[in-house]
Amino acid sequence: MVPGTANNFRSWLREHSQLGEQSQFSLSASLRAPSLAVLETEAFPTRKAEEWRYTPLKQLLAQSIEPLTGSSIDTDLLEQLKDSLTTAYRLVFIDGQFSSEHSNKLTDDFPAGLNIQLMAELDPESRQRAEATILTSKLSDDNIFQHITRGLSRAGLFIKLDRDIEIDIPIQIVYLSSTNSGVSCSTPINVVCLEENSRLQIVEQFASLKGTQTVTLPAEYIHLKAGAGLVLYKIGLESEATDHISNTSVQVAREASFKSHQYLLGSRLTRSNMEVHFSGPGGEALLRGIYLGDNSQHLDVRTYLDHAQPHCRSDQHFRGIMSGRSRGVFNGMVLVREQAQLTDARQSNKNLLLSRDARVDTKPQLEIYADDVKCAHGATVGELDPDALFYLQTRGISKPDAALMLTRAFAAVITQEIQIDTLRSQVHNEIAQRLNQIETSHV
Amino acid sequence: MLSIKDLHVSVEDKPILNGLSLEVKPGEIHAIMGPNGSGKSTLAHVLSGRDGYTITSGTVQYKGLDLLDLAPEIRAREGLFLAFQYPIEIPGVNNTSFLKKALNEIRKHRGEEELDAIDFLGLIKKQMKLVEMKEDLLKRPVNQGFSGGEKKRNEILQMAVLNPTLAILDETDSGLDIDALRIVAGGVNKLRSESNAFVVITHYQRLLDYIVPDFVHVLSNGRIIRSGTKELALELEERGYDWLIEKSETSS
Repeated sequence: MVPGTANNFRSWLREHSQLGEQSQFSLSASLRAPSLAVLETEAFPTRKAEEWRYTPLKQLLAQSIEPLTGSSIDTDLLEQLKDSLTTAYRLVFIDGQFSSEHSNKLTDDFPAGLNIQLMAELDPESRQRAEATILTSKLSDDNIFQHITRGLSRAGLFIKLDRDIEIDIPIQIVYLSSTNSGVSCSTPINVVCLEENSRLQIVEQFASLKGTQTVTLPAEYIHLKAGAGLVLYKIGLESEATDHISNTSVQVAREASFKSHQYLLGSRLTRSNMEVHFSGPGGEALLRGIYLGDNSQHLDVRTYLDHAQPHCRSDQHFRGIMSGRSRGVFNGMVLVREQAQLTDARQSNKNLLLSRDARVDTKPQLEIYADDVKCAHGATVGELDPDALFYLQTRGISKPDAALMLTRAFAAVITQEIQIDTLRSQVHNEIAQRLNQIETSHV
Repeated sequence: MLSIKDLHVSVEDKPILNGLSLEVKPGEIHAIMGPNGSGKSTLAHVLSGRDGYTITSGTVQYKGLDLLDLAPEIRAREGLFLAFQYPIEIPGVNNTSFLKKALNEIRKHRGEEELDAIDFLGLIKKQMKLVEMKEDLLKRPVNQGFSGGEKKRNEILQMAVLNPTLAILDETDSGLDIDALRIVAGGVNKLRSESNAFVVITHYQRLLDYIVPDFVHVLSNGRIIRSGTKELALELEERGYDWLIEKSETSS
């Protein structure tokens, strides 16, 4: 618990935890109540808790939160985000409010079988489905931030795709923050249900104007039924005055496939917790990610793969690039339960430190209770290869340029797996731009 | 062009070069031979500017510049090239874009206009024929997954594209079969001119059948103990290094 003034995060929570009009909130009162009770009774984790020992919450909790305004936006930034996908079904939230002006029409713009609604305005059938999905979702790290979002969320989407439908055009969800006065808090909640053998791609982009102070606490609950396939891209580009703590729970049924690409490039504090729970045999989860930090950024990536069923395959590859005084954390848990024979689980985490004061804590964890499995994991923390740097220099390339080339190459191993061309080049450019800034400020 | 005078170099307080002197003029090819541990590769590394060597005394003048005072990339831009004994693999960096960047850095330094992608591709395709290199190697990351021979050919390709004034070949023949050796040497011979020079470091005389040197120097214990013409290399092939080393030890 954070001691102190009335004007901090905790007091803001207290004020907003009253059960208000249903129409404002993403979830129904019966679902909100238990989460609000958690907020009443539970303290925020301190660094004494093992799961939070690397995550500094002090600054976040000391902030006083202003109400969300849904103010004017930077159209350049929005256009830039739009350009990252040539075609998309677009849904835009500005300062926590749905912007119908910048989004596709929720009623008629989507193909048959694709149902997208605002969480706060669900029809009864969809509400039942969405809330059942949340209730049956598992989160081994049942952290207080999930409950803040459940209790207070007014934004977010329910996305459901009917069986056997395959949609090539990605769904683009943009979260923009633009408030310039004070700190705001946004708590979007998304529920994604893919029925049997359906296929969908979702691109989530979090961005903010320079200097905008936001606390973003997204929660996402995803159910993939048998044979369904989801590709989920998450691009974090928020300003370094933002805190971002997200929780994602994915349930993967028989022979379903979940592919996730996370690019965490922004925020003062980012903590991304993603859990995949296999609920049927033959499922697949492929997780890719880059976290790139400078100055005093803190980037914390957590994954939890629960192999509770046989014949499932998981493959994780995360790379961290830390400069300045930034700090990266990778905490990846692979749990192979006794019944999960013939599991194939791979995990790799590689980190590049570009400065003396940067730091990474990597903690790959493998718990195996089945005997016929293939599991591999590895983690490295290192600097740029001096032999490669020298080789490039002997060809006339300056040391800073050589360092930039090698660092970009380190990231490209991951970015090249982005399947959407325009998005890949946007992410690539964003990384290059940030590396350029790092180079000019430190070398 | 290159004037090394009484160069003393040590690594972690261990002296490696002990008073090495060498003069190289435009149009010349110098071979530096010597047994393992005589300081051949150290000489190549010191000239190209690698970290980890302490120059305890001596000077190196290159085109009137104090070479040892320049960063490795400036040496390269001034026309110095090192063909590595063990070329480095660089995952994720495309061979073509790397070489284009390198060439344009050198052109910028000379005050020349940078080449665009099309002109560069024209140049590189022409030079690839010189080393009989397969075109798909251009699309790959630098040296990654290349065979030993392909790596060495890639070094010569880089040399052909960057067109150096002074090229140092550090045991370019090591690990090459006779066909690759012939190709690599052929590349060097086509590039030699009145205005450039080569320093060929090798353990064996074999390479010098293909790249005919004007001078042969024998390096032992960090000093040149004997200089001669190409006949000296043939004599070494026949008699080994020991007789020379013994001779130099008794005379000193």
